[in-house]
Amino acid sequence: MSILLDRTNRVLVQGVTGQMGTFFVEDARKYGTAVVAGVSPGRDGTMVGDVPVFGSVRAAREATGADTAIVFVPPAAVLGGALEAIEAGCRLVVVTADELPVLDAIELKAAARANGTAWVGPNSPGIISPGKAKLGFMPSFCYLEGSVGVISRSGSLSYECCKRLTLAGMGQSTVIGIGGDAVKGTTAAEALELFHNDPETAAVLYLGEIGGTEELFVAEYAARPDAKPVAALIVGETAPSGKKMGHAAALIDSKADGHEAKVALLREAGVHVASGLSAVVNAMQEALSRRARAAHGAAAY
Amino acid sequence: MMMLEYEGKRLLGSVGVPVPDGVVIERAPQSLQDARARISSYPAAVKVQVRSGGRGKQGGVRQVKSAEDLSATVKRLFDTEFSAEKPDALLVEPWLAIERETYLAVAVDGRADGYIVMYSPRGGVDIEEGAPPVRYPVGAPWNFRVHGFRQVLESVEQDYQWREKVVALAQRLVRAAAMHDCTTIEINPLARLADGALIAADAKVVRDEWAHFRNHEIRARREAEKQRADEFLRACLEMQHMYVRLDGNIGLISGGAGMTMAAMDMIAEYGGRPACFLDCSPGPTSTRGYRPAFAMLDADPQVKVILVSIFGGGTQMQRVANSMKEVMAERKNEKPVVFRLDGTNVDQVPGIFAQFGAHNHARLEDAVAEAVRLAGARA
Repeated sequence: MSILLDRTNRVLVQGVTGQMGTFFVEDARKYGTAVVAGVSPGRDGTMVGDVPVFGSVRAAREATGADTAIVFVPPAAVLGGALEAIEAGCRLVVVTADELPVLDAIELKAAARANGTAWVGPNSPGIISPGKAKLGFMPSFCYLEGSVGVISRSGSLSYECCKRLTLAGMGQSTVIGIGGDAVKGTTAAEALELFHNDPETAAVLYLGEIGGTEELFVAEYAARPDAKPVAALIVGETAPSGKKMGHAAALIDSKADGHEAKVALLREAGVHVASGLSAVVNAMQEALSRRARAAHGAAAY
Repeated sequence: MMMLEYEGKRLLGSVGVPVPDGVVIERAPQSLQDARARISSYPAAVKVQVRSGGRGKQGGVRQVKSAEDLSATVKRLFDTEFSAEKPDALLVEPWLAIERETYLAVAVDGRADGYIVMYSPRGGVDIEEGAPPVRYPVGAPWNFRVHGFRQVLESVEQDYQWREKVVALAQRLVRAAAMHDCTTIEINPLARLADGALIAADAKVVRDEWAHFRNHEIRARREAEKQRADEFLRACLEMQHMYVRLDGNIGLISGGAGMTMAAMDMIAEYGGRPACFLDCSPGPTSTRGYRPAFAMLDADPQVKVILVSIFGGGTQMQRVANSMKEVMAERKNEKPVVFRLDGTNVDQVPGIFAQFGAHNHARLEDAVAEAVRLAGARA
């Protein structure tokens, strides 16, 4: 299994006729993703490759049975596009765009909750379930099917870390980019809950950074007696306070937001925190071996 | 983006929040003359307009008792730095007879999936040392409920008349935050005057820069910030690059916020010091995008070595490699450049790099070690 995305998702692409949409169709299909429809208002009846284009999400859903949307439209159009996908009944909506006003994210979050939609993003590389499907631009060669669930606030950092896991033979069940903004679709807490209930996921790697409050929930999860083992890397040890480091939420506002406090909190909760990028594979191995010991212990009863 | 106090108060005034009747003085001498003509009553408060906090503790708020006193104080404050920031404007307001100081703020909080309202019955400069403010999670702005916030306040605010004023004000602030794309509106102190009236004695308003497409003031402010930057940084900001200057000597050109911080941390781990956070991924990942990044770091005497670290998904590495070839061909500077590109189509990079004699490190560790070694040799 995996979370949110597997071979059964039928994908429609909003903004399919743009440069990103067209590139995505080719790249995602090569990976095995079932891209069945495009949406581009005013362009219905045309084709992108062999993908039919529709004027609305509803029309695309009715004609193709698409149930999952990925949105490639400019930031000012994301709210409208993603709301359309949510209210048309898509079960998963992925928004990769950055520079989305936070008020629009707040509105989307409320709509996703009201409609029972899983929303991933914004400012996210998307989501991939290796060997099954991908919704985003992540470089496919970095991934391997396996049992590590990965949650990341940053796109490129997740590529780098997954490549390291893959080279070390540790495959991934699903890699979800939750994004770098303060208000987001799927939060770290929600992704952890999904991984917790996924029998194929044996352990979780959390890739976080300074600023924001996601790490509080990672620690809260890891401290649960029934938690799956968690490894983590928190970047931004050398970031100054009071400056926004690219991501809207990557800003040290108080001591609790800083690197030292987050690492201490996670370690106290039993998370295997890597001292840096080079130590991610080791931290993951430690987490997985703890699980093996736990399983062994359980078997002895 | 953080508004100056007078900009924030103007916004608050426009949505019906009581604010002092202020006069702004800018650096031009005529500005002081005009202000003197408009200010009729003393004592008055002169407040430096800077974005950094702790202004009051650094002597940035002065009482003046006469027009002569005002002129002298204005000259002195314009020459003083507050947390390394020299004010471009001063705000002069009537000296308030404050009877009580409280704290009220509306802010975006991920835990609430939207806005929260915070209140403390004791505001003022020492707010961070007292008990933390009570929190009322709102979420989407339309979920604010007067009775919900009132209930939260009942435990900390015994003066029911004041409480009702605060509740009504909070409702207005949440609505204003949404309407004007504010991520924070903090009123500290929210003051009670001798006659019982409520007034926003100070205001910190932060607006969401990504709402620039629907908000003229935010767009104008972004433009003004670009104009304030030097020519090199301005060219980078035009390309949407995100830049934070640091105190080291390894100029880092990177992509993605998390990966940029990971590379900064690794530089430190290897005994070096990064000169900047420079994330080039939001802009065009082409020669047009990378050229100003190199120009800025080449012009910066603090930078001894440039490290290019990019791990791209949608950013295809053969395109980045070709851009690097073009940038390096036209570049005049002798500072060494260390490369580590990885990601989509990275297999095409060595062939392109061979055309201009560059080496692409397979591992970030090797590239960082090389950059730290070169920076040490040139220090």
